[in-house]
Amino acid sequence: MDAFVEFIRSTQLSEIFRDQVGWLWPLCESLHFLGLSLLIGAAGFFDLRLLGFMKGVPLRSAKRFIPWATAGFAVNLLTGLVFFISQPQQYATNLSMWFKVLFLLIAGINAMLFETSYSDRLLALPSDAEMPVSARVIGAVSLLSWFAVLYFGRMLPYLVPNPRSGV
Amino acid sequence: MELFTRLQESGFAAWVASSPSLLAYPTILTLHTVGMAIVVGTCVVMDLRLLGVGADVPLIALRGAPRLVWTGFLINAATGLALFTTDAEHKATQTVFYIKLALIFLALLIYGRIRRLVFRNPAALTAPITSEARALAVASLILWTGATVAGRLMAYLL
Repeated sequence: MDAFVEFIRSTQLSEIFRDQVGWLWPLCESLHFLGLSLLIGAAGFFDLRLLGFMKGVPLRSAKRFIPWATAGFAVNLLTGLVFFISQPQQYATNLSMWFKVLFLLIAGINAMLFETSYSDRLLALPSDAEMPVSARVIGAVSLLSWFAVLYFGRMLPYLVPNPRSGV
Repeated sequence: MELFTRLQESGFAAWVASSPSLLAYPTILTLHTVGMAIVVGTCVVMDLRLLGVGADVPLIALRGAPRLVWTGFLINAATGLALFTTDAEHKATQTVFYIKLALIFLALLIYGRIRRLVFRNPAALTAPITSEARALAVASLILWTGATVAGRLMAYLL
């Protein structure tokens, strides 16, 4: 891991991000927080519908907010890459980061499972139907894992052997 | 200014700021981000709906949104106060902190106006969305964006 961190830090891109563009980090953090609000708002809306709230709203209609969640995710993936490339040593061996990645994977697999195996059947349900258990489980896993991603992301500076002061 | 000094020297502020417990500063800070996601996320969904996203989602479906907004807001008022006490003397002099508070205040005013005009107005729930509602939605998106950025910049600006 140390060699990998050293390699990333030694790249020109890392150096430019870290040393040449002082405003890049605060800018990306601001975008990262906007992205997370968009992601959790839009995906959370769909998840709440899957959980059975807002009965009467067709799932297909609720799904129209998902591209906005994807946009928020894209912003956060890009800005997250900037953080990692700039300061890889803060993340590569950080326990909190690995939990964050774990919950990102759970959220991603959960969304993929919905698309590949449940989407057609659930989207065809009448808008006032009871949500089946499968829908509720997918909605709950999604909502919980996105909040877990947020939690471990925000705890990054603190869940490490040598916590640095909060940023 | 003396009030802020006393606040910062209180036992509570000392616990939040320097207890080694993860439940102190780290958890309070994280809850502040959770509350933000709930408030801003919910308002963004309402704003996007008013601007035509998910136009076939009935407006009345969002009648539970205010409960979410107030839940998130209460979390953030409480955690925000706790975080403020740890650095009261400094934060009280930070321009960007007052900018953040002002933007949140304006965003909540706009939110209240949207609520009265659309979501608590039975006639508006089924009518086409007015240009005033759309303009308020745009203002809301801008103000929440500004408040979020100002909050983040508190860690970077003097």
